[in-house]
Amino acid sequence: MTTRTRYFMAVSAGIVVVGLGSGLVAYYGGGFPSLSASRSGPTELSYVPADSAVVAFANVREVMDSELRQRLKAVLPQERGQQEFQEQTGIDIEHDIDYVVAAMTTPGAGGLQQNPNGLVVARGRFNTTQLETLARDHGGVVEEYKGKRLVKGPAGNDGNTNHSVALAFLEPGLVAIGSEIAIKSSIDAQLSAHSISANNDIMELIADIDAGNNAWAVGRFDAIASQAHLPAEVASKIPAIKTFAIMTHIDGGISGRLRAETRDDQSAENLRQVVQGLLALGRMQNDPKATALVNSLQLSGSGRTVALSFAVPSEVLEMIPGIKKDGLQHLPEVLPKELHERK
Amino acid sequence: MADPKSPGYVSSAMRVFDLSVSEMLWSRRTIFMALVVGAPVLISMFLRLLDALGAPVFRVNGMQMAGPAIFGLMIWVFYLRFTIPVLGVFYGTSLIADEVEDKTITYLFTRPIPKGAVLLGKYLAYMACTVFVVLPSVVIVYLCIVPMRGSLGGSFIDLVKDLFLLAIGLAVYGAVFAVIGARFKRPLLVGLIFIFGWEQMALAFPGYLKKFTVAYYLQALVPHAMPNDTVVSLIQGIFHENPSLPEALFWLSAILLSFLWFAAVSVERKEYVLEQ
Repeated sequence: MTTRTRYFMAVSAGIVVVGLGSGLVAYYGGGFPSLSASRSGPTELSYVPADSAVVAFANVREVMDSELRQRLKAVLPQERGQQEFQEQTGIDIEHDIDYVVAAMTTPGAGGLQQNPNGLVVARGRFNTTQLETLARDHGGVVEEYKGKRLVKGPAGNDGNTNHSVALAFLEPGLVAIGSEIAIKSSIDAQLSAHSISANNDIMELIADIDAGNNAWAVGRFDAIASQAHLPAEVASKIPAIKTFAIMTHIDGGISGRLRAETRDDQSAENLRQVVQGLLALGRMQNDPKATALVNSLQLSGSGRTVALSFAVPSEVLEMIPGIKKDGLQHLPEVLPKELHERK
Repeated sequence: MADPKSPGYVSSAMRVFDLSVSEMLWSRRTIFMALVVGAPVLISMFLRLLDALGAPVFRVNGMQMAGPAIFGLMIWVFYLRFTIPVLGVFYGTSLIADEVEDKTITYLFTRPIPKGAVLLGKYLAYMACTVFVVLPSVVIVYLCIVPMRGSLGGSFIDLVKDLFLLAIGLAVYGAVFAVIGARFKRPLLVGLIFIFGWEQMALAFPGYLKKFTVAYYLQALVPHAMPNDTVVSLIQGIFHENPSLPEALFWLSAILLSFLWFAAVSVERKEYVLEQ
């Protein structure tokens, strides 16, 4: 072997070692934060209790500004509810909310009816005075909880306010909405540093979310399955899914990935076969819209992981009646008479 | 029985490897390899530059693609479907054919070493040449592309899998084409028909035919989603089915060992007639 060959191999091996070393450091240390914004998730995760079973994020600003949203807005009838909401609360959903983090803690034996632990933390621009006034006008009360202002809704028939919707001003420009129990848990989580950031299982799922996605949800599948009240026959047929992650990017089209991790390789194989079968069934349809949508689905994964990627480009969305690239209203001829009259 | 003073099979192969690796690396064929492997590197650097300048390079059909997705696409399109089989066919078929063509095989076969060790040594030289060129290229593409709206850490496991499967691909394709090079008169033509004819066709049909291709088992190791960029790949995607990881690894190992053994036996037994 000549010296020139040795030098060449040393340089080649050096490049591979540098690349693998960089990847390894980033993998274990969550390093290169400037390049990997998705690594640790939004800072508002510090308000999500550690025992949350599902955590979700939506960049409302990006979704509202997306080309798809603009086209839907042009097609859909005037959203009266949204306008009323703005008049009463002063919050313009289109412009005042930047992003939201939502969470659901394990409901416990009583289920959600007995223990409603849904929580939404929203970052944006809010008129606190208007919101407090609105709450008081509707019988709500304002109190302090560990230094945070808490606006509670009126008590229920049983006199219990724990289950009514409450709102808390966590920081300037940051509000939490949920049951009183959930909001107090959220404040406790942040003060005691016992938030979801300390839950390695969930944080690993969040770390795997690609940075380009503007909406995602991760969590334990059992927490959802137990609330779905599926018939026993159906529930027994569902492969043993341990965790799930859904991530999507909404812009001109919609792209994203749904990833599930099963308890063992066999369950993953079963799930892959079920999805493959459904995709094959979908491809047999004569409907070009359905075919285009099914063709955008890509099944992948190995071992215990099953992943389903989808990419619905704007051209496919344009095939849906009513959505046109120029944003003009274009309702199909077959719509009921009442709907045509609304045009 | 071998001469007691002659080197053993492995040390003979290593001597041939030492002799062949520089010759193979600095041959004219390497210019072709540099072009094949350099193209994705240049493209990734160009994309990175455009992205840094604010050009919408990651927008496809109105959607913004993340770096990891583009990296996966490049692994499929540039490396798995083209570079690996093409390098395998160009180098693998030439292991013995080049020596026959140059009429230098006589010098190797008159040495007191097993003829099969000549092939094994040249095969190891092929592996060294291709692995030391292809893998750094993949790493550079990873470092350029993945950080664009993605994380190096998040795609690290995928990179390790990619490097592993590309090395396996080079090894298996090299062994298959070593047999073709040792047994057929026009090995390059046969090899090109195998990768661009047989493999593409078998993968596009439903049924068991795809099990007689290397790509079927290799694709089972890929951690990225298969792209539907051409009509053929769209059809392949419809009939796409993955063997399990152990099954894929078993069959790839079986193909590698059996074809390498078969190539060595072919070289041992075949009488090469040099054309005057």
